[in-house]
Amino acid sequence: MKRQIVSWFTLGVILVGLLAACARPTPETVEVEVPVEVTRVVAGTPETVVITATPEPAAPEPEKPSGKITIWGWTAAIRDTLEATDVFEDFKEAYPDVEVEIVYYSPDDVYTNLPLAITAGEGAPDICYVENSHVAEYVHMGGLLNVTEHLQPYLDNIVEYKLYDCEKDGKYYCVPWDGGPVVMYYRRDVFEAAGLPTDPDEVSETIATWDDYYEACRTIKEQTGSYCFAHNKANNWGRLYEMVLWQQGLGYYDPQTGDVSVDSPENVATLEKLGLFWGEDLVSDSLEWTDPWYEELGSLDQPIATLIEASWMDVFLKSWIAPGTAGKWGVAYMPTFEEDGVRASNDGGSVFVIPEQTQNPEAAWAFLEFAMLKNEEYVLKGLAISGFIPSLKSTYDDALFLSTDSFFGGQNTYQIYADVNGEIPRAGIYGPHYAMMNGAVSVAIQRYATGEATAEVALQAAADEIRANLE
Amino acid sequence: MSRDVAVIPSVGDRWKRLWGEIVKNRWAYVFISPFYILFLVFGLFPVLFSIYLSFQQWNGFGPMELVGLKNFAYVVGEGGKVFWKSILNGVLLFFMYVPLMTFLSIVLAVVLNSKLVRFFQGYRTMIYAPRVTSMVAAGFTFRLMFEAQGGLFNLILAYLGLPEVPWLEHVWWARVALCVLVVWGWLGQNMVYMLAGLQTIPRELTEAALIDGASPVQALFRITIPLLRPVIIFAVILSTMGSFGLFPEVQTLTWGGRPMRATLTTLVYLFNVAFDDYRFGRASALAYVYFALIFVLSLVQVRYFGSEE
Repeated sequence: MKRQIVSWFTLGVILVGLLAACARPTPETVEVEVPVEVTRVVAGTPETVVITATPEPAAPEPEKPSGKITIWGWTAAIRDTLEATDVFEDFKEAYPDVEVEIVYYSPDDVYTNLPLAITAGEGAPDICYVENSHVAEYVHMGGLLNVTEHLQPYLDNIVEYKLYDCEKDGKYYCVPWDGGPVVMYYRRDVFEAAGLPTDPDEVSETIATWDDYYEACRTIKEQTGSYCFAHNKANNWGRLYEMVLWQQGLGYYDPQTGDVSVDSPENVATLEKLGLFWGEDLVSDSLEWTDPWYEELGSLDQPIATLIEASWMDVFLKSWIAPGTAGKWGVAYMPTFEEDGVRASNDGGSVFVIPEQTQNPEAAWAFLEFAMLKNEEYVLKGLAISGFIPSLKSTYDDALFLSTDSFFGGQNTYQIYADVNGEIPRAGIYGPHYAMMNGAVSVAIQRYATGEATAEVALQAAADEIRANLE
Repeated sequence: MSRDVAVIPSVGDRWKRLWGEIVKNRWAYVFISPFYILFLVFGLFPVLFSIYLSFQQWNGFGPMELVGLKNFAYVVGEGGKVFWKSILNGVLLFFMYVPLMTFLSIVLAVVLNSKLVRFFQGYRTMIYAPRVTSMVAAGFTFRLMFEAQGGLFNLILAYLGLPEVPWLEHVWWARVALCVLVVWGWLGQNMVYMLAGLQTIPRELTEAALIDGASPVQALFRITIPLLRPVIIFAVILSTMGSFGLFPEVQTLTWGGRPMRATLTTLVYLFNVAFDDYRFGRASALAYVYFALIFVLSLVQVRYFGSEE
């Protein structure tokens, strides 16, 4: 009898052990607490921060949604920005029956867990924060909630380019947050030492095209010895190339037809133009987001002269990359490839998506509408805190866009970001196959930069690989 | 005396006898069941499902589309170039680090087994320790150390008056960097294999040779290594699979195969095809081609190196 009990007990333990082995690990969850500590940007906060938009009182709907919603996102965007705008407290007041749970995942984890949850059919959040570069992939995979009807009243107020990646067959699948308008950050001290103008308007005029940029870089190198910008060869990520393609309305594929255009003459010419800078050693070999790159940006004696990047770089420079260089930077429009080209491009930007699996689509939509669309207050605060440029055109009338920034020598930088944001053309960069295309073209850029192949040969090989991959 | 007559049981009887045996030993089966259940679910099922998938086109979410041999044709077409590049990388990496690491592990095992060195257990632990660290953390750390400007290795080289090396910026140096990381991480494992193998070699053999006038080096090459042959083959076969299957090392050290896919291993490539391109069918087909290659390679190694008297 005793032996039987022991045997059954052991069997039970084994089975429990098996079940435990099969259990899915739960992510760290953090409940939203009220109130939240806010760490504001240290150096160079805008002189006058006046937010005039008053939040519209949430019109009481006939039936207010209730229940629990989960949001996935990373700390920089959700904890340090969204939470700091107090949107969660205000939302709680407006929708007292909705409980919001926030789960912080790193970007890599979001991009691993979200598609896994979608393909598995369970485990997806009610709202997920993703970047524009990745959203098209999920839209085309399927599994995201169609929000076209909800989005309809706001469509006119959203900058066009934000929605291209969220659209499929005429339906929309996301709510945009911030954009990535590209500008040229430049060091006033280096420009001055090189005999170039330092006033932003003059800089924009003098360096109007990439040929002008080339000349300016040569001057800078001759006069000061500084490199013009950072452009790594062997480990190139292809971001600058993408920005210049986007500006011309080109891309990895034709946005109208979908045909792969990686090896088009225009794409080749663009790469060759960037090659001029490598050829004459005008650019440094630092790889973005590594220590040497940070050092160059923050340096006082051997700085990098310019940086072509999106507006979100603003806060990074101020807060942790180059806080010691306050007052030495300026913001100009990026040079165009051809004369009279559009001086706007995009790099990055983010949106929120609602997976179809959600048990609570009304509550999820209610939150996104409240935070991103109906009320301007929170996206404007997001701009002030973290440099997230809103996608709502109406926000650009706010007094915040009249403020000046001492980090940039007292310049009104937000206005430039807003201008550029409104001009971003349609291009074939992001899309359902962005990661694969970027991977193949990066290799081509690396091969060209290191002299292994000509631009034409390298891009041709990449194009062939992409076409074969897409079959 | 009656002779025992063999009674040939019928098929039905045989099944009954088998079932009787199982029931009699049911607790044994229960106790080994966790392994078999897990193996069936996580080992056998994926292998079989993968065969099924290799004839389909599937993005993991939507419907599956039967495409016959198209995924296998991918290997021989334009798209196969990256696959074959990753195979080539595996071969190159194999020759770059496996002979060195295997030989080093033998030498270390012999030295640390012979109790010549004081604190030999301490050294053994130190050499094995990297094996239990997170390869991801190690990869990131090594990446920082391999940084061309200001990384630890270049600082040391500069201090010694040697030219700095563009470690992760150059196709071949990146491979060398990867080999350094792999040897650091896996030397201990191979040393343990060799240590285990050494336990099967009787001491008297080496002692006799030394008494007869052989030098320790001669004893190593003429006696120890030949007797360690089975273990060496085992370790080399594992290393072969390893050199094609380096995963966390590549993902963390070289951002997944950079520069220009010089350090892209087959396993990383398959992962990319499945989870970046969302082509599970194609990844399955490629995985089976890869399996066939490794299988043949291992067979060749066993035949060629294994059966010498």
